Amino acid sequence: MAHDTGGAAASFYDAAPMAFDRTEGWAYFRGPGDVYERDGLWYLTSPQAVRFAHQHPEIFSSAKAFDSLGSPVPLIPIAIDPPAHVRYRRLLDPMLAPRVIGGIEDELRRQVREIIGEFAGRGSCDVMADLAKLYPAQVIMTLFGLPLEDRDTFIAWTKVLVGSSGGGVGEATPEQMEAGLALFSYLQEYIDEKRATPADDMLSRVLSMEGEDAWTNEEILGLCFLFILAGLDTVTAAIGFVLRALGEDPGLRARIAADPQLTGPLVEEVLRLELPAPMTPRVTTQAVEVCGTTIPSGAYAFLCLATVNRQDRDHPDSIDLGAGDRGHMSFGGGIHRCLGSHLARRELRIVVEEWLSFIPDFTLAEGVRPAVHWPSGTLHYESLPVIFPATVAASPVGGAA
Amino acid sequence: MRILIDAAACTGHGRCYSLAPELFEDDEQGHGRVVGDGSVPPELQAAAQRAETACPERAVSLLPAG
Ligand code: HEM
Ligand code: SF4
Repeated sequence: MAHDTGGAAASFYDAAPMAFDRTEGWAYFRGPGDVYERDGLWYLTSPQAVRFAHQHPEIFSSAKAFDSLGSPVPLIPIAIDPPAHVRYRRLLDPMLAPRVIGGIEDELRRQVREIIGEFAGRGSCDVMADLAKLYPAQVIMTLFGLPLEDRDTFIAWTKVLVGSSGGGVGEATPEQMEAGLALFSYLQEYIDEKRATPADDMLSRVLSMEGEDAWTNEEILGLCFLFILAGLDTVTAAIGFVLRALGEDPGLRARIAADPQLTGPLVEEVLRLELPAPMTPRVTTQAVEVCGTTIPSGAYAFLCLATVNRQDRDHPDSIDLGAGDRGHMSFGGGIHRCLGSHLARRELRIVVEEWLSFIPDFTLAEGVRPAVHWPSGTLHYESLPVIFPATVAASPVGGAA
Repeated sequence: MRILIDAAACTGHGRCYSLAPELFEDDEQGHGRVVGDGSVPPELQAAAQRAETACPERAVSLLPAG
């Protein structure tokens, strides 16, 4: 979910003080007002403005905005406008609905425990390399019904494809083309196999749709590609953000330990403050007045979900577990509301629960000051080294459910 | 008090049924649905209000009983 920042012209964007402190970074984007233009890019930063855009997808087009990803296949459903969009969502929503995720929760939990068990006895790890980059890939592979032995190859392809900063912006490089082709032919093999012998996974279910609902091969590849684009880096990022918050704050760890019910609100508050995909791009199809300002037709606009999340709150810039059910826009809104939100929330909750059951006490390694790469369409830490008592056994302390 | 979901506005964020499962449930799409006739017993009024605030689409409304 990266976006083109308009190349050399985007100096206002590039200059944002984002790397070390998102409170400062998002105050910078909120500063100029509800709706404004800088260097030819438009920014919508207030709840009213963003809500208006979400409710008018015919004016704020995604099809034009996601052109810049240069995907060889249509990005379904993120780059699809109404009226076609609803057809895809009607078919896709049931596949990632909470009851479906509930059905694979035990398996997802087993996988996290396996991954954390690998390093829990070591006394230190890099949260990103040892957990956050592995787990979301396994989850997508599990959804698609792909063998987990292929994980590292799969991750290597997706990394090249998506780009290290999370942006497949502009023309694809020859390296990206090659990785893309390798991944596509790998997926194609499984698509053919599952078409012949359906299994109990999401790919098989999409493939088994018939008649009017049947998907073309190109559509299915596009969907797989988007899941990889939308469902890997985002969850990877969020795992890093939530574990940093816990690692830095013994009081927070103690509160969660005392009341595990607070895990949900914790995940929500971290998502509210640290957005993996903080601004979503749109292109206007006509001139439109939003919050008193007229945006011209054909304008490239960012919906700043991150600034919306910090408005109208008692504690806008810090974790407030008591307000963890107030809602936020980190999964977007309107017709393009994140299809994977139920899955992502479950992944994050399981990670926190299992991490704390194996490693109840930990801190960031000495001298570490995690930074996100900026400018970038998606925000995440590249590495997050943590240390914990080396005496911790390679099995969970409390034995979580 | 009564609760209502505007089906046209609901896009399936699922906050309502996560926060107040006594009052809301998920359908096959993951969209929210009111349990029963939507009337809210006094002890669940706070939960109903939480769901109303949490819905990112403003699709949940609270109405006076009746
Ligand atoms: C914490 C993790 C995640 C965050 C913060 C996140 C955020 C978002 C946001 C903001 C959008 C809206 C984009 C727009 O309006 O243009 C979106 C859309 C989407 N996300 Fe996620 N996402 C996450 C995880 C996932 C996962 C795990 C999957 C898939 C398995 C996924 C699949 C999608 C898809 C398919 C769309 C497009 C929906 C549509 O256009 O109708 N996301 N996501
Ligand atoms: S929280 Fe709102 S959008 Fe989400 S399911 Fe409930 S009513 Fe629908």
